[in-house]
Parts: sequence; structure tokens; C-alpha cells
Amino acid sequence: MRSLKNHLSVILPLFILLFSLQFTFLMEKIVKNYETKLTQDYSIVVVASKPLSKAVVKSRISGIKSLEEISSKKILDRLKGNISSKNISLLKIALPKFYSIKLKAFPSIQEIERIKKELLASGFITKVETFSKTHNKIYRMFQALKNTSLIFSVLIVIISLFLMFKQMKIWLLEHKDRMAIMTLFGAPFWMKSAVLYRLVVVDSFISTALVGVFFIFFPKFDNVKDFTSSLNITIPKFNLVHDTGILLGISLLFSLFIVTIVIRKMNKE
Amino acid sequence: MEHVISAENLTLAYGRDEPIITEAQMKINPNEFVFITGKSGSGKSTILKSMYGELVPKRGDLKVCGVNIKSITSSKLNVLRRYLGIVFQDYRLINEWTVEKNVMLPLMIGGFSKGVCLKQAQKLLKHVKLLHKADKYPLELSGGEQQRVAMARALAHNPVMILADEPTGNLDEYSSEVIWDLLKNAREHLGTTVVVVTHHIPSTLGIDYKHFFLESGVVYEVS
Repeated sequence: MRSLKNHLSVILPLFILLFSLQFTFLMEKIVKNYETKLTQDYSIVVVASKPLSKAVVKSRISGIKSLEEISSKKILDRLKGNISSKNISLLKIALPKFYSIKLKAFPSIQEIERIKKELLASGFITKVETFSKTHNKIYRMFQALKNTSLIFSVLIVIISLFLMFKQMKIWLLEHKDRMAIMTLFGAPFWMKSAVLYRLVVVDSFISTALVGVFFIFFPKFDNVKDFTSSLNITIPKFNLVHDTGILLGISLLFSLFIVTIVIRKMNKE
Repeated sequence: MEHVISAENLTLAYGRDEPIITEAQMKINPNEFVFITGKSGSGKSTILKSMYGELVPKRGDLKVCGVNIKSITSSKLNVLRRYLGIVFQDYRLINEWTVEKNVMLPLMIGGFSKGVCLKQAQKLLKHVKLLHKADKYPLELSGGEQQRVAMARALAHNPVMILADEPTGNLDEYSSEVIWDLLKNAREHLGTTVVVVTHHIPSTLGIDYKHFFLESGVVYEVS
């Protein structure tokens, strides 16, 4: 019972730590996927006094994905009933060129401003419509979401590490006599500490497995599916090899680091 | 002949406190049986502590098996301790381990295989007449039995020297006899040097021994 309690005291903070990290990674992926989707839909409309080529625009803004001319035919067709065909022809000549620019990545607010400035500086681009109001709103929302999840994770990591430190100290006090006796008989550091290292390695595996199981099965619940589809987002699948490897690595790194620090500190005392 | 223990002007103190032992001279030869006696608080255990490197000399030199304790590194101290067998008055057995595993400890540290450790532990438990309690835990044993286990542990790896701190201090007559017999046998058959800190030297021991007496921080060799 005591042993189970001891294990739980490490497994729990480790689980919370890994859970929050995996949650942050997941949020990053979701936001990135959503940004890619938005980038596909997002475009800047420019009005130019002369025809533009992709090379010309590229010389001013580097992250350009495509440049498409917006046909003025639709506008002119709407005017056909009210204006004579001669005037339509004149209007056709006088009308500036409209283009839609698509970007490779979802731009930040600063990038939007810079792009606008660069395009207007060319002289032959007379107007740039970046739809910045809508864009900025979405961009700020994403940033807030990312930052909140990051701050949340950092706090959780700090609290978890603190709890683990405390538990390691308790473990060490429990094993102090045994370690002292082994020292008197000339046991090397690794032998004295082997029990503690074994415990944290086992607990790291258990915590990683629990987090893995959660993130594999959680997106499969109907409620979660309904919720995510209502938001038009998809939860990326938990990669058994890659994600488990990262989580196990982090978990081992943190726990082994803490146990080493606590043992060294205790030895000095 | 190289001394197993050689102390030159040895001064021992805890931290910045007044010295407990001052300017001590001691020479202990291999295969000698040595008693260190003195009143309570005279520094008997302190001297023993310095011999297994638990206390670093404040002044002077102390060489154990040719190694200077004053300048020893922790890794070298670990190696030195593997050649020593230490017996404490309060036994210092690992209560979470069985009697058998406790006896196996020095052999495990020495890197012997599990089979060798087990065989040697059983042999020694038979010597101390506790083989039938090999699977018990220390706290299930009496004080005398625990000290016999501690003695078996100290002898398990055939140490060069046994350092025993009042090994029979709290024991019944039977357990005391077993302990003295083991120490005598170790010296006689294994060539082990034996250093015992005690209040009284048993009169029925029947062997030659060297005797150091401590008084007011000074070590006297009694001839």
C-alpha cells in the first residue's frame, strides 16, 4: 500500500506534466492545421495601373504563393444594361487591373502592414486590400490561444517538477539509512542509488503509457468528435512511435535529472 | 613490514570543536589483534571512525592499508572500504533486506555473482548459527542475533581488517562468545587484522593482543 502510494506520488505529477506538454503540442498542431486552412482561403486584393507578373510581386514580397488576375468581366456584364456598348469598351480600357495574391503562410499583423507598404511603394499598385480587420481578429485569437496554452503548460510543468522534487526527497529519506550503510561498505554511487533510479524509470514508463492511452482514446469519444467537428477542426492522431518517444524522453529526462540532483544534494549535506 | 594502520601525530575533532584525540601515535601490524579501550566519551569510536574514513584527521597523518585518509578521494575511499569489515554497536543492518541479503552486501559491492554471494552468505550464517533465520528480516531478530548477522556481514568478503565498535556491548553471554570466536578465527585462519573498541577486554580470550588506552584525548600503548 505504501509502495503504491509512493509510486502514485511520482506518477501523478509526471502524468500531469506529460499531459500538459502533449496538450500544448496538440494545440500547436491544431492551430498550425487551421492556419494552413486559413492561408488557403486568405488572399490580398491589389489594384494595379498596369499588368503584374508573379516575378514583379515576388521581388517585393517573398512569401507569395500565387498571383491571379481577377476578371473585370463580371462587373462590366452587370453594367451592360445601363451603359452603352461604346462606353463599356471605353470603361474596359480605363479600368485598372485587379489581382488576388495568395501567400505561403498565414501572415502576422506586422507582416500584413509590411506587405501593404511594399506593394504601394511600387508606384503602379494603387490600392491594396488586405482585409486586415478580419485577419487581425483571427490572428490575435490564435496567438492568444497558443500563448494561453503555453503559459498553462509552463505553470503545470513547474508545479509538477516541484511535486516531484518533494517526492524524491521523501524517497531519499526513506532510503537514507540503507544508502548510508552501503556507503560504509564502499558501494559506488550508482549502486546506492539504483533503487531510486529504477523507481523513476518505471514510473516514467507508466506515466507515458497513461498519457498515450488518454490521447489515443480521447478523440474517439462521440462528444469530442461532435465538439471538434462543430469547430471545424480535426485532432491530429497520436503517433505511437514518435509521440510516445518524445513523451518518454521528456519524462525520463526530467525524472532522472531530479533524482540525481536530490541524491547529490543529500550526499553533500 | 608495512603497517595496516599508521597514525603520526593524529589529531581528531568534529568540525571546529575542541580536539577529541591529540597527537596520537599508533602502529598496527597485519594479523594483529588490537584493543582500544577507555572511558565513555574518551574518543574510542572517533578513532575507529577515522580508520574507515568517516572522519578526516584535523592534523597529522593516518594511513590505512597504506592509503592516507587525509587526502583520500571519495572513489578511493570506496575502494578502501571494500577491504574492511566494519561492525557497529548498533548493528546498522538494512531492515528492508533479509538477513541473507544483508550478509551478501559486501560481496554484491565487490561485484561477485549472485551464486557466489549466496553460497558465502549461507556459509557465514551457518558459522554464526543463524542459517535457519536467513529469510527473516533484522527487526524479527534479537539484539544478539542482529550483531551476529552484522559480524557475518563484516566477514563475508574476507576483509584485510575488521574494525569493530563495541561488538559485544549489549549482548548476552552466548552471542558474545560467538562474536569473539569469530574474530579470533578470522585472525587465525584468514590472517585478518582485528581492531576492537571496547570497555572491557574479555579475560578468557586466550590470545596475544595489542592494547591502546585512551585518556583525556591521549592514546597510550599498554605493554
